[in-house]
Amino acid sequence: MYLGYVVDKELLKNDPHFKMGCALCHKGDAKAYKKEDAHKGVVKKPSDNLRTCMMCHKQITERYAKSLHYTTVGQRTGVMPRFSPEELKTFDEKVFEKSCRSCHASCGDCHVKGAPVGGISIGLIAKHKFVKKDEGKTCAFCHGGRVYPEYVGEYGGAPDVHYQKGMLCMDCHKKDEFHGDGNAYKSKSEVKQRPACKNCHKPGSEAKLTAQVAHREHENKVSCYGCHSGAAYRNCNDCHGGHSAASPGMILGRSPRDKKMLTTLRLIPTVRDTFAPAGIKMENFDALPNYWDTPAHNIRKRTDRTRNCDVCHVDRKNFLKQETLIKNGSKANESLIFVPKPINR
Amino acid sequence: MKRCKVLKALLVFLLIMLPAAALAELAGPVVSTNDLEKNLTAPNVVVLDVRKLEDYKAGHIPGAVNVPYGSWAIKKGELLNELPPIDDLAETVGNAGIDKDSLVVIVGKTDKVPDQFDMTRVAWTLKYLGVPNVAILSGGQNQWVKESKPVSQDMVRAKAKAFKPSLNAGLIVNKAYVMEKLGKATLVDTRAPAFYEGKEKLAFVPKPGRIKGAVNLPVGALFTPEGLYKDKAALAGLAEKAAGNDLSREVILYCDTGKTCTSWALILADMLGYKDVKIYDGSTMEWLADPAAPSEP
Repeated sequence: MYLGYVVDKELLKNDPHFKMGCALCHKGDAKAYKKEDAHKGVVKKPSDNLRTCMMCHKQITERYAKSLHYTTVGQRTGVMPRFSPEELKTFDEKVFEKSCRSCHASCGDCHVKGAPVGGISIGLIAKHKFVKKDEGKTCAFCHGGRVYPEYVGEYGGAPDVHYQKGMLCMDCHKKDEFHGDGNAYKSKSEVKQRPACKNCHKPGSEAKLTAQVAHREHENKVSCYGCHSGAAYRNCNDCHGGHSAASPGMILGRSPRDKKMLTTLRLIPTVRDTFAPAGIKMENFDALPNYWDTPAHNIRKRTDRTRNCDVCHVDRKNFLKQETLIKNGSKANESLIFVPKPINR
Repeated sequence: MKRCKVLKALLVFLLIMLPAAALAELAGPVVSTNDLEKNLTAPNVVVLDVRKLEDYKAGHIPGAVNVPYGSWAIKKGELLNELPPIDDLAETVGNAGIDKDSLVVIVGKTDKVPDQFDMTRVAWTLKYLGVPNVAILSGGQNQWVKESKPVSQDMVRAKAKAFKPSLNAGLIVNKAYVMEKLGKATLVDTRAPAFYEGKEKLAFVPKPGRIKGAVNLPVGALFTPEGLYKDKAALAGLAEKAAGNDLSREVILYCDTGKTCTSWALILADMLGYKDVKIYDGSTMEWLADPAAPSEP
């Protein structure tokens, strides 16, 4: 018997959510004596309809309805430049609403019961307790393909230094990122209140002169991840493969969003025939690259690159090269190749 | 005046004797939950919780500092459970408030068999770095909770110490060293008998088998049915049967990744008095991938 489904009696007494009975949210007939009658019209996941939570949490739910976690519109924004106008219509009807949108998180997915990912759910987070946060269960479950295992060191390298120092997701990612700030953004890159290394680590405040010099020399040229990502990370094609081959690893190249910036890149799973089953050829496939800048969540103070300049400037270790580009990939990929200059000694 | 002098002398005596008492009760390599509870606030005692941060935050031994296991052992190339760079390790140790005078008691979880050995691998790493007084908690956090001992959810920030490692390089050896010692040192395979006999293997190990000439001393034999370490006499009997009773002979232990074998290494060296105990970090993952490395059956 899976005990996670047993609602704790103590909760019923103490949590205001239960004061007005289960039927307030779950519907059904609370006065019926037979299970069949009581369960008529029962709603299994009441928060799928945000109006349920809105009854009591109006302000926050209204904001949440516009948030990227709920709309998942970032997925649409990320791929739409590849489509012709007609293809975009087909995408919206056949793919976005039916597939991408199914991934949205409702209130209960983070506060009561883990969302089903690939048909699997962690069940109730804590015997139907309305939990404020439990990153190791909620964030980790949806973002468990890459971000979470990287962060806690389960993907091989040491854990992210922030995790080692006792920090979890919400120590950097603040509430507004989850609930939204009331604006309907099209992509996370539009959100201003995102974590940034410089919020805590002010350039020039380094203890060692070598670190000061290295930071000054690379400022606005290399992202923090470019040097401080500590180990190989998972590329999307490692799991969403089947169309092209990719190996787990670290990829360094120009950021598609800022070509002057060298950063960590991640291979994304959209390849030429990704949407062929929906009848979409992607007429403008080459408008976007297959590699995107990624904030690898495996930060270490020291890495092979911080220890030895030659790792980048001579060996070009992990740099995207013509011969390492994925086969039959986007023509835009080539523009991400970066050749570091040798150091004048 | 005389009374004041007596009080002062008593105070000095206590300051000297308290750490000594803690040292005696927490003398490694395995300490009981009761002994740890009695000495939680003793000077120089550092309770080091190596579980995941989420588990630690959910409840830990009061005063324990958290440094998750992944900070102590990493994947290098294909090999699991390898040492991170020494400068990183030294900083990790210092940031946990540990120095050479600390009495470190390591706490981990014991839910699954491999979890048991996170504690011993960290203990062996600390000894390698030059921290001499290291022990593990018998039964780990699970036993502590089972006995309804107090737990805390306060995040403990250790006062960082400057730690400069003085490596006991001989405690962890590589393939070339083992190759040279074949037939000279006692090689101890700490895997279950079916693995030792070549009947089974883990997926990440290249092929079944063992290092040529190794004897078997399985880690499963360390524990009582309750999951606690057996007493010294029982462990001594098992060790003597497999590794002999020559305490000065060199003993090199291995397993599949260099983690589980640290349990017997700790017992042999710190409980039973074997004077020259080493572990082979690469273990079968590395050895059995090399056609030139002698193996059997």
